[in-house]
Amino acid sequence: MAVTGGSDLSSEMEVDAFRRLFPLRFHERHLLESIRPDGRSLGKARDTTIALGAVTSANGSALTKIGCTTMLAAVKLEVMTPTQESPDEGCIAVDFHMPPICSPAVRPGRPSEVAPVVAKQLSDVILSSGMINLKDLSLVSGKAAWMAYLDIYCLDADGSLFDAALLSAVAAFSHLQIPVVSLSDEGRIVLVPEGNGGGKFEKEPVNKEKRKLKLCTLPFSLTCALHKNYILADPTSEEESIMETQLTVVLDSSGLLVSLNKPGGSVFAHTSVIQDCVALARQRLKEVKLILNEAISDMDVD
Amino acid sequence: MAAKGGAAPATYSPSLTTSKEKRRAPLFSEADWVRPDGRGFHQCRLAFMRTAAVNSASGSAYAEFGNTKVMVSVFGPRESKKAMMYSDVGRLNCNVSYTTFATASRGQVSDNKDFSAMLHKALEGSIILESFPKTTVDVFALVMESGGSDLPVIISCASLALADAGIMLYDLVASASVSYLGKNLVMDPITEEESYQDGSMMITCMPSRNEVTQLTLTGDWSTPKIHEAMELCLDACSKLAKIMRSCLKEAASPSQVEE
Repeated sequence: MAVTGGSDLSSEMEVDAFRRLFPLRFHERHLLESIRPDGRSLGKARDTTIALGAVTSANGSALTKIGCTTMLAAVKLEVMTPTQESPDEGCIAVDFHMPPICSPAVRPGRPSEVAPVVAKQLSDVILSSGMINLKDLSLVSGKAAWMAYLDIYCLDADGSLFDAALLSAVAAFSHLQIPVVSLSDEGRIVLVPEGNGGGKFEKEPVNKEKRKLKLCTLPFSLTCALHKNYILADPTSEEESIMETQLTVVLDSSGLLVSLNKPGGSVFAHTSVIQDCVALARQRLKEVKLILNEAISDMDVD
Repeated sequence: MAAKGGAAPATYSPSLTTSKEKRRAPLFSEADWVRPDGRGFHQCRLAFMRTAAVNSASGSAYAEFGNTKVMVSVFGPRESKKAMMYSDVGRLNCNVSYTTFATASRGQVSDNKDFSAMLHKALEGSIILESFPKTTVDVFALVMESGGSDLPVIISCASLALADAGIMLYDLVASASVSYLGKNLVMDPITEEESYQDGSMMITCMPSRNEVTQLTLTGDWSTPKIHEAMELCLDACSKLAKIMRSCLKEAASPSQVEE
């Protein structure tokens, strides 16, 4: 990463020392010039990449990077018996993990405090946004349905964890390939072997047409750090630790608001600030949609 | 409907593995068979390794050997835990974990503690612990996908991450394993081959010093076979060490011209 600031090498050390000793002043001097230490303008998010199918042991997976923040999401499908209350619905279990490799702050055996918070937020957004119709996960009404385990691992934590995690989750679901299953004589669900597609299998598959999960709408998010009257889109972990508060906006693919979250902090957010954040999230939505579509079409070519 | 519905949910799961384990593959006992991925018996999987995979760590590496994908971060040298006794030499702390989707059936990994201890023992001898007294170096590994021969990949990847972190080492540590299947020795086995194996050998060594830091042997072996297996592993280790070395050189050279 290129660090702007001291242009000649002689002052390099001093800048680094200043940054460590007076992080707030260091950042505020940047903000006065409407630029951030990594060279971004205030409203710009970091470079984003999506790679689909990163893990072959899962039914769907994706690796996303927003700047240095890296997330690996994978979906595994298992067959379950649906509950009595909703016999024709499947189920989605969302979990977010921060293994010790992702940050110096996480030690083995002592789970990070952030992880459960992000996990709850993710599960709320994914289930409430209407991205997946749980009825699509049903196989045989009342008898069998898919249980989708979505596990997201943070491989490198450098701020805006929720944004990266949500993007990887959405990408993993768009990559999901539902295995073909059929009903055996004893009424059990059995997997149809992959290579047997051409040759006639003795039992008719239950879900021949439904190999891809239909995603009704896709939620995308943008986290903004708020500091005095500045709004910084997609903050790094350094910025997150210094700034006064944060605001996360989640929009669906048509631009409608799904969720808004301001987790406390020392300052209030004015209505105008919230509107500005939503406007930034709208812009970001277009960018991310394009990147995801590109990743999906690259996948189809292969 | 109630009769069928009453069955435990587990009976529904479409797992291929349970049926496979019961039937021992007759294929492997024959003289000539082809490996599932089409490799020769003594051929290793393609190895891909990169350093600096995790920005927030002091050093890190990513390794991909076939379907085995591992990421290792190194933190430190940093302050030892408060409860630790004073120590003139540095400490090494290792931890291995698996993702829930690493194996074919979800959440079936139990031997993490075992792997952590093995990783510690394999690396300990290669690190100049005197160079960071009173402090600890943490080596954390995450297996993103388990495709067989996990531990050798973890060890080699961890050694590369240690070098990336600038920890003083006597030499890089490379590791390789061999499975004894029927009459054949199979190099760098995948999960399927490991599940049918009659015996296994893993060697961890420092190739340029010609020293072995760890050797494990399981199963029923004859002395000539052990000898053959050792030769195979040591050869693979020295080749792997070359790959690791060139990976470090590559990472060091273009850093000056980075934009």
